[in-house]
Amino acid sequence: MSEKAEPKKRNVVVFACNECGQGAMNTAGVARMGYDAAIKIVPLQCSGQASPLMIMDALKNGADAVGVIGCCIGACHFVNGNMLSMHRIKLLKKLFKEMGYSDQQINHYTARAAEGETAVGDFEDIIARLKQAENKAGTLPKEW
Amino acid sequence: MAQKVTVFNFGTCAKCFDATLLLPADNGYELKRALEPSKWVPSPIDVAVITGYLLPKDKVLVEKIAKNAKLVIAFGSCAATGGPFGLACARGTKVTPARDMVEAIDVHGCVGEWFELHQVIKGNQPDRAKLCDACKRRSTCKFLSEVVRQIDPSQDDESCFNDRGFMCNGYVARQCKEKCIDVATPCRACKPLVDHPGIRMLSMFGTLMANVEVGTEATGGIAGTDKLADAPDDVTRSVPDVSGAFFRFSLPVEMPIGKLPSTGSILSDVFTGRPLEELPLLAGMLGGRRAISMVLDIIEAYENGTGIEINDIVKGYRNKLREIEAQMQSVTKAGDAAWYGSAADAIRKIAGNMNLSNIFFGGFKTPIKDEQAPFDEYKSKIIEFKKGTYQAGRVKYAIDAEGKVNEFSWRP
Repeated sequence: MSEKAEPKKRNVVVFACNECGQGAMNTAGVARMGYDAAIKIVPLQCSGQASPLMIMDALKNGADAVGVIGCCIGACHFVNGNMLSMHRIKLLKKLFKEMGYSDQQINHYTARAAEGETAVGDFEDIIARLKQAENKAGTLPKEW
Repeated sequence: MAQKVTVFNFGTCAKCFDATLLLPADNGYELKRALEPSKWVPSPIDVAVITGYLLPKDKVLVEKIAKNAKLVIAFGSCAATGGPFGLACARGTKVTPARDMVEAIDVHGCVGEWFELHQVIKGNQPDRAKLCDACKRRSTCKFLSEVVRQIDPSQDDESCFNDRGFMCNGYVARQCKEKCIDVATPCRACKPLVDHPGIRMLSMFGTLMANVEVGTEATGGIAGTDKLADAPDDVTRSVPDVSGAFFRFSLPVEMPIGKLPSTGSILSDVFTGRPLEELPLLAGMLGGRRAISMVLDIIEAYENGTGIEINDIVKGYRNKLREIEAQMQSVTKAGDAAWYGSAADAIRKIAGNMNLSNIFFGGFKTPIKDEQAPFDEYKSKIIEFKKGTYQAGRVKYAIDAEGKVNEFSWRP
């Protein structure tokens, strides 16, 4: 059997809101669901607090990808924080494309507090998209 | 003892270099001007003023200048943060801010303001008043349901541009002398009020766009939820050029060097990808001593190509501007400060400011002082975007159906 290549150590920052985002992650934890060790969760009160400045700061300081997880559409506990965040991340994604990089490095998801699978599904999607970004247009360089 | 001040001109636009002509003669300086820094003979100086954009190849020279100077000032947006030329970073050109090469004090502004330079040389801090405080329009910060790319400024001069869905970066800008906002042109924050002005303005405008439809899709996988969709939606269509709109003066500072293929020249790298309605202002910013003809060529190319008619009043003013530019070629080289000052005043009277913000397709955005004819006769027009190639004078460019430039060339 051929030796397996050392799996790439990744660093993924996930900004999760205090309500559905972290709620779903807690539910996943209680149910002993596994997810990639690269995921580092940063709790926020609302996903609307995840500003592009924080996202760029994370990417500049070692994150390979950034995910933001908020409440479901229409269910934000702070009126529309999840939608505000989506608008900003959409513009940020466009900026990445305009610079010739992949826009799959940053994403916005939603989760349901009662279903741990939703958070784990989001984590899997973040990793899958990061791999896609690395293989296609490329991610932002680590230092600039 | 008089302070020895030498102004160095880098890059291809000499507007900030020329603006230093206005430094008052009785200021107690011994002012020298190096139009071609490579020919400068090193000698100890008190203050070195760097103007224009810098490339990695300039590093040796800039370090040599800094070694001979007690203080280095990066004057103007290009020297301080890359300026509009920094947009070429998206296509691999490493436009470098002066402070990445040597220790320098930044004096922002496009065009750089001589009075601010004067203050900094004297050891004072420039004024940090907010642009919005000086704006006659008032902002409510209400969520937008629609974003527009052009407006008729004469319809409403009390509402903030952003409230009308017309993006203005004034929120993150300091007050300046050029004040594009006074000539019905949204600010692009050449003098930033905060760190990371581009990314902060992107956040601000993204938030304001809350009621614009954003696309979502199902995640699939083991438990489906919704996530942000990849397909273009109203948000991406509303802001056709994110880097040019929010990062006009700060791209090299806030983002890594881009990976898009270069088009061959820095000027076409800057212009490619920009929306047509932004071209006149952009050309006015970086055209240097040829800014007037560059702006007018861009405008006339589209007017001729799409059949926009202009009247004799507009033609008269355009000819007058071209005359001033022709005279400027010789006089600024000789360094005649008095002539430059009066020519700059004449340009400001017609074109609003040294970035020529008042000039647009079909005419002018705001009334010209002392013009007797009614404003409606020489008012600018809201243009429609027609895919095609347009050429006039030294300029040739092609735009797509969305109105974005995909080819640009300028013959010097």
